[in-house]
Amino acid sequence: MFEILVQEGGLVKLSGRLDAAQSDRAKAALDGVRESATLDLADLDYVSSAGLGVLVQTYKRLHDSGHGFKLTNVKPRVRSVFVYAGLDKVLHLE
Amino acid sequence: MVERRFPRNLGSLEPMAQFVADYLGSRGFDPEHSFTVDLLVEELFTNLLRYGKGGGPEVSLRLGGQQEELVLTLRDFDVESFDPTSAPEPTTRATVGGHGLRLVRSISDSIRYEYRDRSASITLTKRFPR
Repeated sequence: MFEILVQEGGLVKLSGRLDAAQSDRAKAALDGVRESATLDLADLDYVSSAGLGVLVQTYKRLHDSGHGFKLTNVKPRVRSVFVYAGLDKVLHLE
Repeated sequence: MVERRFPRNLGSLEPMAQFVADYLGSRGFDPEHSFTVDLLVEELFTNLLRYGKGGGPEVSLRLGGQQEELVLTLRDFDVESFDPTSAPEPTTRATVGGHGLRLVRSISDSIRYEYRDRSASITLTKRFPR
């Protein structure tokens, strides 16, 4: 089960399991974000490389157009995936 | 040791995750470890779907090992050989793809690829100290 909710002001809430079966849906929702974005991962239980790819793609698109991109409330085990992939050095994890 | 076959498509990810959770639970592992094993299974499986040319309608997932060690084998049938362990990693971190192999290499303790009679198997080991 995966849910993504894009709210006013660039706040995006992700919950559940962001795996390869859900990454296209996540990308479609994130492609609609055209301003600085804060992704709230408080309820995100799982992410794989497919999900990381979508987040990196969104980060690059927003960064290239002068917007910010940060991830908040990241659970320790989800954070560990970013660390294993070396992306904690690239993406802004609060 | 347990083994189960799953359809060779992304719809198998959640049933595979449940299979992993049930097995680790039966061996008394911390449920948190399911997250790690689930991730390894997904990365191997999606790699197989992306690069394993050919392939039958199902793949086999086998879980075993003793004491602190988990041994995981994913087998693809009637497929061309593709050894993911020999694939290069991306040279920079900020890439859209290429993270799966880095994750697998970072997390697992050993990786072995075998190809015989048009069946490709990849076996990982991972220790979970109790």
